[in-house]
Amino acid sequence: MLQKKICMLGGFAVGKTSLVRRFVQSIFSENYLTTVGVKIDKKSVAFPDKTVDLILWDLAGEDDIGSFRVSYVRGATGLVLVVDGTRPATLAVALTLRERVEAEFGAMPFVLLFNKSDLTDRWAIPDGEIDELKQRGWQIYLTSALSGEHVDDAFRQLASMVAK
Amino acid sequence: MARLPKEVRSWIYDFFSKERSAAYLKIDARQCIEAKGGNLGYYGLLSLRTGEPVADQLEIMEGLLPCPELPFHLPMMELPGGRVADLHFFDDSGSVWLLFLDATPERDHQQRLQQKAYEMTLLQERERELNAKLQSTNEALRESQEGLSREYRRAESLLLNILPASIAERLKADEQIADNHAEVSVLFADIVGFTERARSVGAATTIAILNYFFRAADLLSEQYGCEKIKTIGDCVMAVAGLPVARSDHAQAIANYALELREAARRERFAGEALRLRIGIHSGPIVAGVIGKRRFVYDLWGDTVNLAARIQKAAEPDEIRISDATHQLLGPDFACEPLGETELRGTGLVRMWRLPA
Repeated sequence: MLQKKICMLGGFAVGKTSLVRRFVQSIFSENYLTTVGVKIDKKSVAFPDKTVDLILWDLAGEDDIGSFRVSYVRGATGLVLVVDGTRPATLAVALTLRERVEAEFGAMPFVLLFNKSDLTDRWAIPDGEIDELKQRGWQIYLTSALSGEHVDDAFRQLASMVAK
Repeated sequence: MARLPKEVRSWIYDFFSKERSAAYLKIDARQCIEAKGGNLGYYGLLSLRTGEPVADQLEIMEGLLPCPELPFHLPMMELPGGRVADLHFFDDSGSVWLLFLDATPERDHQQRLQQKAYEMTLLQERERELNAKLQSTNEALRESQEGLSREYRRAESLLLNILPASIAERLKADEQIADNHAEVSVLFADIVGFTERARSVGAATTIAILNYFFRAADLLSEQYGCEKIKTIGDCVMAVAGLPVARSDHAQAIANYALELREAARRERFAGEALRLRIGIHSGPIVAGVIGKRRFVYDLWGDTVNLAARIQKAAEPDEIRISDATHQLLGPDFACEPLGETELRGTGLVRMWRLPA
């Protein structure tokens, strides 16, 4: 059994829980319900030669990075960094959380999700900034937990990265 | 820490195991469940089997063991059944104890508080975002209003440049403009040999010369209280005594003519000094605005025609004036008599030359 622990990281209200719900249960709720502590979900991703069970750790978002409990990430093999595309400051939060995790547990595969891509009229991340990050070789997705756009693609990509 | 009395320890034990639904697993070095007990049912974990790998049965354990930093604490973990537990790991000579303590009420309480705090923060962020948007919209509005009033001022000043100010005002008030003016002086001035020289120097120089000439005609008209009415090719038509009548219109136009000639002499055109032919006549005219979309303020009448003919008859560098203008000028201008000359369509005309 190929089972991998994945952690959802990002500021509060960027859509981590909604992305997991969309990916695992294919549902979306407009209601914002903040996560306290951590909640685990599981989903199998099938590839031609193998199946990977992703154990998704949906961690509480932070508005204060200092209060982030890095110990939750112990044993993780991959990260889903989530940014709210309508709140530019959440990009710095996601990147700082990744640095904290890497300082503790070393580098690990990740995907970077700019979420809420359905909110086009409030979108606040310039294309140039995303292109610049892509040039670092990062796997970046513009996702919408509401419509489901690119959600499966992003998790599948990470599954293939951690299954190697 | 001082050891607690047996009774207290016993009370704490009862309190904890009851209040916080204590449950435990013991995990051996092969990461299989060695023992289990306590209130596992509360956490929906009754089906865990001893002797089998823990991570296969309890997903949260994936990757956690072996853990180099025991004791280890994972607070507020929501388990598959919906209950929330604080997880405590501590070692016991190669095995690891995993203790579950219920944290469901605490998590729910914290969640209610955190929810309020984050919702408030999100509202504040949104308010800031909307305020910024409002501000930039206002800014854009103000800019376009400024642009509009700049355009208006420009249009107005264009109108003023084309038409005398009092005429422009009357035109804005939608008046029909056709006025009789009993006494004005009309001037025509053109450049000697313009057509031939324009051909030899090319378009850019020609435009530069015309620009110089017409600018001088404009600037001097302001200075001497004359109105430049229009240009026709290389010819300028100007008038004094319009739109407001003045008794010294002949003097004004004569001074204007002298200065215009001086200005021309300071410039060179195709290797030679720029020279003008100037003609002036005084008398009654009709002035008015014609056109609806492109306004033209113009003068009509015999006075205008004669002024044009006198100008055509003038020598290079000469300011030629009619007898009527000469009489108005009086003794201040020592004019040379040119006698009577035959002008086309007019007959014999007595003319004078302004001094050099």
